[in-house]
Amino acid sequence: MELFKPEFGLAFWMFIAFLCLFGILAKWAWPFIIKSMEERADLIDKGVAYAQEAKAHLDNAKAEADKLIAEARNEQADILREAAKMRNELIEKAHGEAADEAKKVTEAAQVSLEQARKEAEKTLRKEVGDLALQIAEKVIRKNIASDDAQRALVDQYLSEVETKN
Amino acid sequence: MKKAITALIAVVIIALMALGYADTAAHRAHSGGETEVDPQEIIFEHLGDAYGWEVPFNHSKRIPLPIIVRAQDGSWHAFMSNRLDEGAQYDGFQIAKGGDYNNKVVQILPDGSQYRPVDLSITKNVAGIFIAALLVLLMVFKVKNWYKKNGMKAPRRFTAALELVVDFVYTDTIRPIIGKEAPKYAPYLLTVFFFILTMNLLGLIVIFPGGANLTGNLAVTAVLALLTFLITNLTGTKHYWKEMFWPDVPTALKCPVPLMQVIELFGIFTKPIALMIRLFANMMGGHMVVIVFMLLIFIFGSMFGTAVGGAMTPLSVALSLFMLLLDVLVSFIQAYVFTILSTMFISMAHVHEHAE
Repeated sequence: MELFKPEFGLAFWMFIAFLCLFGILAKWAWPFIIKSMEERADLIDKGVAYAQEAKAHLDNAKAEADKLIAEARNEQADILREAAKMRNELIEKAHGEAADEAKKVTEAAQVSLEQARKEAEKTLRKEVGDLALQIAEKVIRKNIASDDAQRALVDQYLSEVETKN
Repeated sequence: MKKAITALIAVVIIALMALGYADTAAHRAHSGGETEVDPQEIIFEHLGDAYGWEVPFNHSKRIPLPIIVRAQDGSWHAFMSNRLDEGAQYDGFQIAKGGDYNNKVVQILPDGSQYRPVDLSITKNVAGIFIAALLVLLMVFKVKNWYKKNGMKAPRRFTAALELVVDFVYTDTIRPIIGKEAPKYAPYLLTVFFFILTMNLLGLIVIFPGGANLTGNLAVTAVLALLTFLITNLTGTKHYWKEMFWPDVPTALKCPVPLMQVIELFGIFTKPIALMIRLFANMMGGHMVVIVFMLLIFIFGSMFGTAVGGAMTPLSVALSLFMLLLDVLVSFIQAYVFTILSTMFISMAHVHEHAE
């Protein structure tokens, strides 16, 4: 059976063809392809490692930023609280000062009022005295005829004084 | 769109079948009456070698290929195969019909006897081998040029598919088995893999440049197995030979009667022979089954009449299509099996003392 008898010519050419193919590929193709493939695999591995590292860095950076922000927030709150306190203090101080001033002003006003009153009293007394003197003068001048007439006169003058005052 | 393509393919197949039928009918009319179909002859014609390459839809025309023979007197003769068509004689040579040298070129000696010359003809199978080698060259250099041009960029399309296969064979098979010596043996193993795969797949294409049953031929697989055998044994370490001739077994098994040595020596030869037979039988078997399924039409036709044969056609076509698709899978598996076994044989010849 022909199929089971290896033909010499075919084996010969097969041998030649395979050796040529192998020689060409082994010299110019396979080592280069294998090297390139391994280099690329390494590159991809490195890339993945680098990306993971970068991601870790990024996560860290985020945490750090969060921490910084929280710190800044705290600081801000502190500053605000302090400011509020200071403001309150200022206001209180201002209030106190204002109250003192007002008190002083009031006191001064009272003193001057008192003085004015005393002066007024003095003047009044003087005037009342003058008036009384005038009235008495007039009463005496009229030659007192009757009690009634005199009384009416006194009344009249008194009311005059009153209206004058 | 897909439906349109399917319909087109169906129409083409039906047209081809009609053409084939008309052709056969014409052939029958030409040769006068019914010709008996001889399945065995058809099978071996398709599986075997030839001096010309057949073209579709023509039974007599062949693409001529060079015949190179060394005559009995030691002179070399070279001429195209179409000179010997239809049993013609040229320069004292003829293609024998029947006898010991059926379908081979023989020299007709003056006394009328046949002499089988040394035959280095570029037959159909040799041309197929050259075509396969050329295709492998093109494919591998396509990958190489990609790397040369694009460096670290990932390839696309066909180059990516090739690279995937290279990666599969090298990174997943050769490197884990051989280890750090892998780059030394990878070129041989990768070449073997791609060469076998290309030859297997070319064998499944029925028309030129395919159709040559390359890996289903003992000569081809024998050369490949021989190379694996040579590499395995020529690069074997001292320890490998020590294991062979003085293995670590009880002395009774190896000293007075060299039992283990005989078994080990036997093993050296059975391994490549198994490689050779496995690839040959798988590929040839696949081709044979496809042809037999096709021939069922004619066998049934001659046994129960043309109508039954015609009715068998859809079943036959479906079965051989299924077998062809299976053969695509087998092509890859057998190329891979040959490579992985070669890899293991080579790695087994590289045992080191400390490795145990």
